Amino acid sequence: MATIADELAIERRGHAASAARRRTNFVIFLGPAIVLTILFFVLPVIIDIAVSFTDLGRSLRITEFTTEQYQKVFRTDRRLTQVIGLTFIYVFGTLAIFNVTFGLILAITTTAIQNVSGSFFRGVWLLPRMSPSVLYILLWLWAVSPTEAGLVNQVLMRAFGLDTPLDLLTTAPIALIIISNGFIGASMGMIIFTAAIRGIPEHLFHAAAVDGAGTFAKIRFITLPALRWPISFVTIYQTLSLLVSFEYILLLTKGGPFYDTTVYALYVYRRAFESGQYGYGAALALFLIVIGIVVALIGWRFFDMERLLQRPRIEVH
Amino acid sequence: MFHWKNGTAALLSAALAGGTAAFVMATPLFAQEAVKLELWSRQDPSGPLRAGNVVKAAERLNKELEAEGSPKRVEVVVRESPAKGFDDDALQLLKVFGIGEGPDMFIAAHEWICAFQEDGFALKLDDYIAKYPQHFGTIFPSLWSSAKCPDGTYAIPQDAEARMFFYNKKLLREAGYDDAFIDSMPERTLSGDLTMDELLEIAKQVVEKTNAQYGVLHRPNKGPDYIMAFNAYGNDFVDPETGNLLLERDKLAAAFGWFERGVKAGVIPANNTAMEFDALRKEFYTGNAAFWMYGIWDLGSVAFPTYGLPQEEKAFFEDWGWIAGPAAEKGGSPVSLTHPIVYVIAANTKEPELAVRLLGHASAADLNTDHAVTTTHLGIKPEQLEDPRYAEAWPLARATDLLKITKFLPNNAQFGELNGIIYAGIQGVESGRLSAQEAADFVIDEASASLEDVIVK
Repeated sequence: MATIADELAIERRGHAASAARRRTNFVIFLGPAIVLTILFFVLPVIIDIAVSFTDLGRSLRITEFTTEQYQKVFRTDRRLTQVIGLTFIYVFGTLAIFNVTFGLILAITTTAIQNVSGSFFRGVWLLPRMSPSVLYILLWLWAVSPTEAGLVNQVLMRAFGLDTPLDLLTTAPIALIIISNGFIGASMGMIIFTAAIRGIPEHLFHAAAVDGAGTFAKIRFITLPALRWPISFVTIYQTLSLLVSFEYILLLTKGGPFYDTTVYALYVYRRAFESGQYGYGAALALFLIVIGIVVALIGWRFFDMERLLQRPRIEVH
Repeated sequence: MFHWKNGTAALLSAALAGGTAAFVMATPLFAQEAVKLELWSRQDPSGPLRAGNVVKAAERLNKELEAEGSPKRVEVVVRESPAKGFDDDALQLLKVFGIGEGPDMFIAAHEWICAFQEDGFALKLDDYIAKYPQHFGTIFPSLWSSAKCPDGTYAIPQDAEARMFFYNKKLLREAGYDDAFIDSMPERTLSGDLTMDELLEIAKQVVEKTNAQYGVLHRPNKGPDYIMAFNAYGNDFVDPETGNLLLERDKLAAAFGWFERGVKAGVIPANNTAMEFDALRKEFYTGNAAFWMYGIWDLGSVAFPTYGLPQEEKAFFEDWGWIAGPAAEKGGSPVSLTHPIVYVIAANTKEPELAVRLLGHASAADLNTDHAVTTTHLGIKPEQLEDPRYAEAWPLARATDLLKITKFLPNNAQFGELNGIIYAGIQGVESGRLSAQEAADFVIDEASASLEDVIVK
């Protein structure tokens, strides 16, 4: 018969084994993610900080460690104010008009119609995201070509009798980069919102119908409140994504005319890779990282994301 | 007398003797030392023989080495870069050198060589040039100045060309100008009688009185041509005493003013810098623009093969022509700009002597003429002018006139970057974001903030 001491020993061994298992599980399941995070997220930031304190130039040589790059950022770079203002317009415009609002409209309309038609329209809206960037932008360049051969001009001149072709690349470049990015960005919101709408219990709509609610009342009092978390997520995620993306702008307008469509990320790219000022580019990039962190924290706080990520509570109906 | 005791022994001995003889005869082959020289070259349809001639030159050099009894044989390995232009290519190559993976030789636009020299990547060539007069002795002296950095020569000129304003005579006639006026334009320009503003006025008449949409078109990216317009207004961009970059506010504003007036007159399109290169050429060569500011090689590379402009001299000049960059004011100096492409040897190549001799052979008159006549570039040696093929390529002979007034871009390590700022200034002016004065201020501010040792006046 086992003594109390034996039972305690067995229990301790059990605790020890379970602690060891927990440690092993931690290493197995989180280890690769931690290593990857350090390699691809933490290390680049450390390298960026290190490079920003050097004079690394176009031949990749460091001759001195200096704070000169930061002096440039704060004192001599007059272009920055304009670039930051434009970035704000671009991010806010794309988000507000397309990524959230248009994504929401697409989700609501395609879930309100027949399932087959809805899926078809969602598929169509996913096409730009699936096609290669260069091909997508080539189509845009043809569409907005400032000659009679451009799609927009063909429509305007033939159907609406416009006399001379419009040159949207010169006259409305910001609108163009917002629209071209928005057409792609809207699809992500559309997918997430669609999934969320599908998750709303059907009986809520029936009950609302019994109470005499019309379509807009259902959207306002049932759909939108249910989409609060997805909207918060899409807003924060797409803000961060828009802050650092510039490939479509580079392909469509090359950041121009002049600096009219040079957003912050593109400005960093141009300084670092087109002018060969890698040290200065690194200093500018560091501010982009800081801006990203600040935006993420504000979004976290503003949308109360902490509650979203909490363990779900049991709903009592 | 020696007798073989049996056939087997005889056979073995014969085989042994034969084998030894073959080995002895083959020894020189085994002793040959293959020297691989890597050449960095941009994939450039406007000059495939820039690299091709170096490959051909290896055969000539190897024959020479054989005659000298040298065991060395040169093999050229061409490393092609897909860069869009010479500026992108130079930036890419500087990085390649930076990580210690540079080639033995490379092809570059001349204004970049001092960027390589400054970082110790380019070989100083003065002694070699003096040592091999048979290769380099007759190269035009003026071209050597495009290959110099402050302390010596760092490149070998490979070709030259001329930048000008092409014009469409049919459109000018339609606009009411008579043949006497049209045909006298080149001469009047060279004598300083035709000015930059008169050119705009002619272009304006064309836009107003014909169906042509555009007056003057220019390149839609950073490059050399528009610098010609800045030269016309007295901007040389380099301080002769120090060699540092020089920016003169009034002269810059005057040059930007020409672009500003061009746009305001409806002659230069406000979206010129947003248009595609090919689209611009198409507009000019299909008769929708009066002037096209570009280089002579565009005739051979694009105008003749793609747009079917007459290749015969007389037929061409009936409807088309070109003038130098006009003077800013009556009696002033006209301008043209040549943009030599050069061969450079890496400072750390293991075989500098062989690389120099190889590029010497690549600079032979006949090989250079092959490149010149097939791509409408100007040659580098006077003896090429005697070549019947060169004489047949009339655009070359005619454009050589412009070499009398031609200028180079400054061989300053930072000029590539400054040129990017100037181009942004043109974009600002043409798109209406900046006035000419603001553009001058913009160039000075940007250059002062991002470049070193810029002298501002």
